[in-house]
Amino acid sequence: MVFVMNIVKIMTKYWKVFLLQGIGYTLLLSIIAVAGGAFFGSLMALAKRSRLKILKFIINAIVAVVRGTPVLLQLYIGVFVFPLIIPKLSSLPYIYSVSIVLIINSSAYVSEIIRSGIEAVDIGQMEAARSLGLTQKTAMLSIVLPQAIKNILPALGNEFIMVVKETSLASTFFVGELMTAYLKVKGNTYLTMECLFIVGVLYFALTYILSKILKAWEGRMKARA
Amino acid sequence: MPEVMLDIKNIYKNFGDLHVLKGVSTTVEKGEVVVIIGVSGSGKSTLLRCMNLLEEPTYGEVWMEGKLMTPVDPYLHFDVLRTSKTYKGLVAGGLSDEEAIHKIKDEDLLKEKHPKTEGPEYAALMKKIYGDYHIDINLGRQKMGMVFQNFNLFNNKTVKENITLAPVKIGKQRLKDAKKRGETVTKTAVDIEKEANEKAMKLLERIGLQDKADAYPSTLSGGQRQRVAIIRALAMEPDVMLFDEPTSALDPEMVGEVLDLIRDLVKSGMTSVIVTHEMGFAKEVADRVIFMHDGVIAEEGTPEEVFNNPKNPRCKDFLSKVLY
Ligand SMILES: Nc1ncnc2c1ncn2[C@@H]1O[C@H](COP(=O)(O)OP(=O)(O)OP(=O)(O)O)[C@@H](O)[C@H]1O
Ligand SMILES: [Mg+2]
Repeated sequence: MVFVMNIVKIMTKYWKVFLLQGIGYTLLLSIIAVAGGAFFGSLMALAKRSRLKILKFIINAIVAVVRGTPVLLQLYIGVFVFPLIIPKLSSLPYIYSVSIVLIINSSAYVSEIIRSGIEAVDIGQMEAARSLGLTQKTAMLSIVLPQAIKNILPALGNEFIMVVKETSLASTFFVGELMTAYLKVKGNTYLTMECLFIVGVLYFALTYILSKILKAWEGRMKARA
Repeated sequence: MPEVMLDIKNIYKNFGDLHVLKGVSTTVEKGEVVVIIGVSGSGKSTLLRCMNLLEEPTYGEVWMEGKLMTPVDPYLHFDVLRTSKTYKGLVAGGLSDEEAIHKIKDEDLLKEKHPKTEGPEYAALMKKIYGDYHIDINLGRQKMGMVFQNFNLFNNKTVKENITLAPVKIGKQRLKDAKKRGETVTKTAVDIEKEANEKAMKLLERIGLQDKADAYPSTLSGGQRQRVAIIRALAMEPDVMLFDEPTSALDPEMVGEVLDLIRDLVKSGMTSVIVTHEMGFAKEVADRVIFMHDGVIAEEGTPEEVFNNPKNPRCKDFLSKVLY
């Protein structure tokens, strides 16, 4: 009973911190990471199929490092290293460096998902397109990629949801997302359990709604063809 | 003089250590129907796929209507060989012209050597031949239709889109290029689409599948799919058709409809190269039969010669198993 009362009290006072700032930044970071990841991940997946050995090597290295190290470590490194490379970043809030790390991280995973999706498309589709005299690029864009994307939608959806959860690690740098909101409010109220509960429900609600939206979208894509 | 359409010169194809084609040469004349037979694994598909460069030959050249589709193979041009430093070194070392050329070819002395290491004269000549005769691989392929064993219709496109995709994409690209060159063009992109659609509908009518225009390939029977695949290739108005076992993946009751269409096509004068296990059909439509064995043409001749009077023992053996 006290627990519920506390939650109500917390929410009346701090709802802005949780719902506006917390969810806002979590969504912002997720969307940046996923959009950037989808864009650069596609480029990386295509570049990996090019003949340039150096390019392939660099991309393989990035993917291996990203997959082989914890996100938290990547965030630490990014926050310390990026401002050294791009001096302008040192005068900006951490969220900029954090965003870059999340984009790189998600690009690496998305590129692997797309690569496997492309490889799962029957080689005969590409060959038929090329035999008609279409260029590699046209064949890829009109025939192979659309089929690959349809196959990988569930995996991409999972990646999106993973990203939403991984943004919580950014709270280490107090960037303002949900987990930062938790740290702030807990610091003021000392009501750890209640705050954890609120944040947990919010994360769950976010990912649940997201997964429903993705499912619906997937269904629509499947229905076409 | 018969007009040579496709000229295959001394094609070798290695997959790593596996030597699949070991020096295949043949020409296909305009209007000719060449049927390729042979046991599984003898290299029939690989040869066919080398013709439109779906497989890149390891050595040798493919010429389509007088244009070179592959890189220049120096071994096929003695005048090029003679300009190489390797040749000059051998001749200076006391070999005759013939000996030097033989030695270079037999020991593959130019293998993977950059033209530059063979001297500027050699590099320049290689470049000149290439420049004079080479055709863009996509342009070459537009003149060759290919039909696959597994149909390979585009799964994400309707039947009609399957047929119009290449004509529309390539037609629009040509339009763009023509505009870039500053030529006056009378057609618009919309015209190209309209024409492609009309042609697709005509082709579909020809095979009696006009009501399937908006269906997806997955809803078609095997025989229907293969017939659509054939007219998809025809929509590009190719000069040669390549068929790789077009009926092997079909249920027996659907073989007939596909063979009928191919028969129609070759009877109307379409130059064709057909890999098939349908011996009756081969006998009926072929102007020339090629028997492949172990990566080489082991026997070649008119259907009468090859089927009734084979000379090669392997060919005899093969035919005794497939003919009754
Ligand atoms: N992409 C490839 N990589 C490696 N080996 C290959 C490849 N394609 C073909 N081969 C091999 O080359 C040999 C000849 O194959 P090919 O498909 O040309 O034979 P085929 O005469 O068409 O046989 P079939 O009647 O079974 O179709 C086979 O041993 C095959 O395993
Ligand atoms: Mg074959």
